[in-house]
Amino acid sequence: MHIRYWEKLEKDPFGKTGLILVIFFAVLAAVAPFATQNPTAQTPLIFKPPSITHPLGTNDVGQDIWSRLVWGARTSFLVGLGVGVLSTLLATLLGASAALIGGWYEEVVIRTVDALLVIPTVILVILIAAFITPSIWLLIVVISLFRWQGGARIIRAQTLSLRKSMHISAAKSFGASTSYILFRHIIPDLGPILVVSFIYSCRMAIFMEAGLAFIGISDPSVISWGKMMHHALNFYYLDVWKWWLLPTGMALSAFILSFTLLSYCLEEAMDPRLGEGNA
Amino acid sequence: MKRKVINYAVAFFILLVLNFILPRLMPGDPLSAIYGEEVLVQMTPELKARLIERFALNKALWEQFASYILSLAKGDLGYSYYQNAPVSKVIFSHLPWTLLLMGLATVFSSVVGIILGIESGWRRGKLTDKTALTGMMVLSGFPSFFLGIVLLLFFAVALGFLPLQGAKTAYGKLTGGWFILDIFKHLVLPLTALTLAEIPANYLLTRNTMIINVREPFILTARAKGLSDSKIRYRHAGRNSLLPVVTRIGIKLGIIVTGALFVEIIFSYPGVGNLIYTSLLMRDYPVLQGSLIMVTVFVLLINLGVDLIYKKLDPRT
Repeated sequence: MHIRYWEKLEKDPFGKTGLILVIFFAVLAAVAPFATQNPTAQTPLIFKPPSITHPLGTNDVGQDIWSRLVWGARTSFLVGLGVGVLSTLLATLLGASAALIGGWYEEVVIRTVDALLVIPTVILVILIAAFITPSIWLLIVVISLFRWQGGARIIRAQTLSLRKSMHISAAKSFGASTSYILFRHIIPDLGPILVVSFIYSCRMAIFMEAGLAFIGISDPSVISWGKMMHHALNFYYLDVWKWWLLPTGMALSAFILSFTLLSYCLEEAMDPRLGEGNA
Repeated sequence: MKRKVINYAVAFFILLVLNFILPRLMPGDPLSAIYGEEVLVQMTPELKARLIERFALNKALWEQFASYILSLAKGDLGYSYYQNAPVSKVIFSHLPWTLLLMGLATVFSSVVGIILGIESGWRRGKLTDKTALTGMMVLSGFPSFFLGIVLLLFFAVALGFLPLQGAKTAYGKLTGGWFILDIFKHLVLPLTALTLAEIPANYLLTRNTMIINVREPFILTARAKGLSDSKIRYRHAGRNSLLPVVTRIGIKLGIIVTGALFVEIIFSYPGVGNLIYTSLLMRDYPVLQGSLIMVTVFVLLINLGVDLIYKKLDPRT
């Protein structure tokens, strides 16, 4: 299945919105050091409402909330991308190798996949994180270790059917080399699946990082939206939630939404039964 | 079927191994890692000797593992020195609230999601379908804990007509109808948050299946028979769109459990989710591990049940 991603994303309103949102957050994360004040500097100006110097006011220790919001985008982005890349890599490696090697190795991979599919991932991560308060990098690794099973299952099935498909035997009969087949056929054919599984992992990881930080499992050295929301919720009886809690939650939701929109758009492109018509 | 049972057994085993290994990998005294800091306060030489004996900590690793599995098999989840009660007792006192919350949320979100999905898929491409689809997409972006916070802020803090937290009024001596009303008032916000968070997944799945089913030949046959529109929509297309939703109930349960965890924390709802949270804060490891084991066993058992029901629903498998 070869998909013209760009064309699809441009034509589909959901895809377009998702793409614009992701780019917006990427820019925000990239310019963080230039567009903000020191996000950790504590000042005597506490609980200030929004003003020109502090667009979203200040928190209980006088830190600029806007700066923290922008730096929080970096954490979400890092975890999303990190888990996306690592878990998709694991899924491809294990899924494709299981299909190609077969035998007892394939059996072991399938068993592990099936077992991991039924365990609630968040619960496993909470259990691990309770003992080893993970740094942001370790968190990426831990989430990835429990997030590859879904992708691996689909990739294995797809590789199995690809190996026997007509266009690949045709290419072989024309004398195509293995690397030609791999790069011109197998990888583009797996492409859409890899992209969707990447986007799913990103979305899940961003949600999990925020959720875990919200319940207090977080690298103390990073600024995280989940942590900000938890912190802000302590002061629900003051008016500060209007410019502290709500913008942070909205940013997190919009970021998660952007990945939902992208994956829905691409999934529709992949399933021709859904793709017809003008939905 | 045998294969599935083995899968669940493997999944459970992975969890047990993690539960066993993690505290023992911690630097320092394994006793405090297994039992939390609280045990050190009450520690006497006799207690220490008894605990070392209980966990076979002076023996080889595999013997420790064997004694761990053996005590679990007897239903012994350990003792919480923070709560001063057996772990199983602590968990069972919190379980009913979580079951109430999760059960109702599953029912409501399934019913609403399926009906909306059927109606939306039937009218595919029309304005109502597009509006519903966009609305559901936006809703699915909101994490359950933010939905809970928004509901809490607007209905309990800003408007103030629903209680902020808990499952019932503390020290209240309400009886009969007033007691039930009190419980209901405390349940509304957490239940709404969890239900709203679960609707989009059900909706999207039903809508997609519905779109595919509507084009099937049996719909044409139903039309040719002269059946009414609503009969075709629900009895024929809709009913066949239920299958994937039912299969996913088991898988989705893990997601609902996670959602309930966050929602309970926000509303201080006294369920297992809140228990996990407090034991995490207090480093009450026995309760934390016990709750996580119980939750996983629950999820695995329901999955097994769904597999059995599915066999009845779809004789092809």
